[in-house]
Amino acid sequence: MLIAGGIALAAGVLLFVLEPVFSGRGAPAYGGDDRWDEAAAKRRVALSALRDLEDDRATGKIDERDYAELRADLSREALSRLDGEAAAQLDGDPAAAALEEEIADMRRALRAGLKCGACRHVNGRGARHCGRCGMPLEGRAAPDP
Amino acid sequence: MTAVGEVALWIALPVALWGAVLAFAGGRSGRFDFVLSAERTVYALTFLLLLVSAGIVAAFVGDRYEFWYVASYSNRELDTYFKVAGLWAGQRGSLVFWTLLLSVFSSVAVFQNRRRNREFMPYVAGTLLAVQSFLLMALLFADVNPFERLGFTPANGRGLNPQLQNYWMTIHPPTLYLGFTAFAIPFAFAVSALLTGRLDSRWIAVTRRWVLLSWFFLTNGIVFGMRWAYEELGWGGYWFWDPVENASLLPWLTATAFVHSIQIQENRAMLKVWNMGLVAATFLLTIFATFLTRSGLIESVHSFAENLTIAYVFLGFLGVVAAVCAALIVYRLPQLRGENHLQSFLSRESAFLFNNLLFVGIAFAVAWGTLYPLFTEGFFGQKINVGPPYYNRVNVPVGLILLGLMGVGPVIAWRRASRRNLAKNFAWPVAAAAAVAAALVATGVRHWAALATFSISAFVMTVIATEFVKGTAARSRISGEGRGRSLLGLVRRNRRRWGGYVVHAGVVVIFTGFAGSAFDVAVAGDLAPGESLSVRSAFGHEYVLTYESLSHSRPRSSAGGENDWRWTALVTVRRGGERVAVMRPERRFYPVMDESSTEVGLHSTVLEDLYLIPRDVDLDGGEDRVSFEAKALPLVPWIWFGGMVVAAGTLVALWPAGRVKSRAAAGGAAPSLAAGRAA
Repeated sequence: MLIAGGIALAAGVLLFVLEPVFSGRGAPAYGGDDRWDEAAAKRRVALSALRDLEDDRATGKIDERDYAELRADLSREALSRLDGEAAAQLDGDPAAAALEEEIADMRRALRAGLKCGACRHVNGRGARHCGRCGMPLEGRAAPDP
Repeated sequence: MTAVGEVALWIALPVALWGAVLAFAGGRSGRFDFVLSAERTVYALTFLLLLVSAGIVAAFVGDRYEFWYVASYSNRELDTYFKVAGLWAGQRGSLVFWTLLLSVFSSVAVFQNRRRNREFMPYVAGTLLAVQSFLLMALLFADVNPFERLGFTPANGRGLNPQLQNYWMTIHPPTLYLGFTAFAIPFAFAVSALLTGRLDSRWIAVTRRWVLLSWFFLTNGIVFGMRWAYEELGWGGYWFWDPVENASLLPWLTATAFVHSIQIQENRAMLKVWNMGLVAATFLLTIFATFLTRSGLIESVHSFAENLTIAYVFLGFLGVVAAVCAALIVYRLPQLRGENHLQSFLSRESAFLFNNLLFVGIAFAVAWGTLYPLFTEGFFGQKINVGPPYYNRVNVPVGLILLGLMGVGPVIAWRRASRRNLAKNFAWPVAAAAAVAAALVATGVRHWAALATFSISAFVMTVIATEFVKGTAARSRISGEGRGRSLLGLVRRNRRRWGGYVVHAGVVVIFTGFAGSAFDVAVAGDLAPGESLSVRSAFGHEYVLTYESLSHSRPRSSAGGENDWRWTALVTVRRGGERVAVMRPERRFYPVMDESSTEVGLHSTVLEDLYLIPRDVDLDGGEDRVSFEAKALPLVPWIWFGGMVVAAGTLVALWPAGRVKSRAAAGGAAPSLAAGRAA
């Protein structure tokens, strides 16, 4: 009984394991939709770095001079990775699109005149006075670009 | 069932070997049928190892004492759940359990990637199957077969070590093993990256959550082990730098370094060789920890050795894996060069690098202390053990620096930070640290390590709190959302970062709990019923413990029969004249093993534990006198609370990010940096 059971168990396992070799059925081939795009990965990293930079500035970790220098570097790096086809792919990349939206929001806020003239603090849309120093904000009604 | 398990063990080895060979052959030749066969082997092995494990458990529950393993770790009267836990009570079952968990994780990894990351998968499956083949060979041919029969069937087993007869026995080892085995997946991907030459950050991105999962289980496993030691060993401590404790700490240290250093590779394309070294070292240390715990190699110092053959087999395996990893890293060295360099010493990269060096430094110090008895025996013929003073002298200062770095890292910007901004960001945290130090000195605290720990903890907590407050405020300003929603959005947007801060906060709480040990108070007394003992806590209040009575019982276990005899003391605890607790510490005697154990009495508050140890019960004098030792242990509960915070933070970091709706999908205009460039 034990021997018969052992043989049956071994046979079942062997059949399951060896079937692909006998039938010639293979595992999915390399590449396809999941092909790793190193350029996309670097683009994501560049965008993340920009986001972190904005965070660091918003929370006062870096001063304006460092911010300007680092932002110029990082923007150059990010933009160089966003040319042509790569930029078009962004719409299909949720993480990158989300990062972009945040950065775009920040830019819109800056363009809408919500950066305080006195303390350079970036304020939310609809704000009438600076959230940090209380000074009136100019151009708050400026439309989104 | 036991016979089926035994047969399954013998079938598993050739199946695993077949799969390992076919996986590598398939990967090299591009034969996808070979690869599919190998992947099916992974699933088949899981099935077979489940049968093997079920066979062992069935032997324990069925009291099959003809098997050496069951007879050595069980007895008829043992509670059923300890019989089930017998699977990992000894070396042999532990190896089966380890292999089973590895097999389950391997199956999950292969299934997850059945259509993704196909370039890696042949070698991932091959590496995992090769490790499982080794473990199965060890089980079958290194005198550790769990189904080995005795020449006779004893009437009863020798019983389970009383210290293992604690509910943590069913929780702590599996959790730790889950951590050990989960790390095999990142290791397999790293080996695959080295073999395929795909050495960009892809393997890290693919395995990031496996690393965090492993870290989650390792951390919880270690904390559970501390709690077990605290409750069961009856000396009021939770860590003794025991070789087995150290063995679990070693992979945790390198895994923690790895969790930090992969962020540098992902963000800055640096430290590629270092990361390969760390992932290999961590995997090797998980194997080392597994065999050290049960091998008897170090325990032989205390004459607990079960079988040293397995120790040499494992050492040989570790040597081979280390040599193969080193050869692969050297072979791929030109492709592993970093793409960037440190821009400034004052940057988050530098802080991470320093943190890595300290973690690895502690790992070396702990490994040296753990293996020192072996070296001294090998070279000088005499075993010399190093104790807690060595570990504390080396690790306490380094640990404090690491604690401080947890406050420095978040404040420093990536790439470079200006001294001006650092001064500004550190002002409040340093002030908080100084205030805490001044307050403690004013109240008479002079213990340097405790002072440093409390002050640095205040510094780090202020940094973390400030990060959350500033981050939430910034997001609220930009998005126009309320503070609550902004905080949630902040965490959701970058779970790893904010989850990491929560983990850091938990670690600070744990360190604070450790520092409380500087103010432990202990009092001993030999009491007759009606007599009292007083303990003055470090917080100034006094506990009066009155020994009321002693009772004796012989409870029937869930398996039937009397597994242990108990002498239970009834002790009331008063504080300020008011009764605050009733304790029932016990002495237990295990007749099958002819051993006794202590079950301590514990009264926990937010700030401290009152810990009562019944050292001895005098049954001969007819007065039921009991020798007690009472300890007031400040801040110990914080260690367990901190562990929960660490676990929660890790889960936040682990939690999968939901799919983000893109602007294009939402029908809005697609802003992009490319478009913004024109502006």
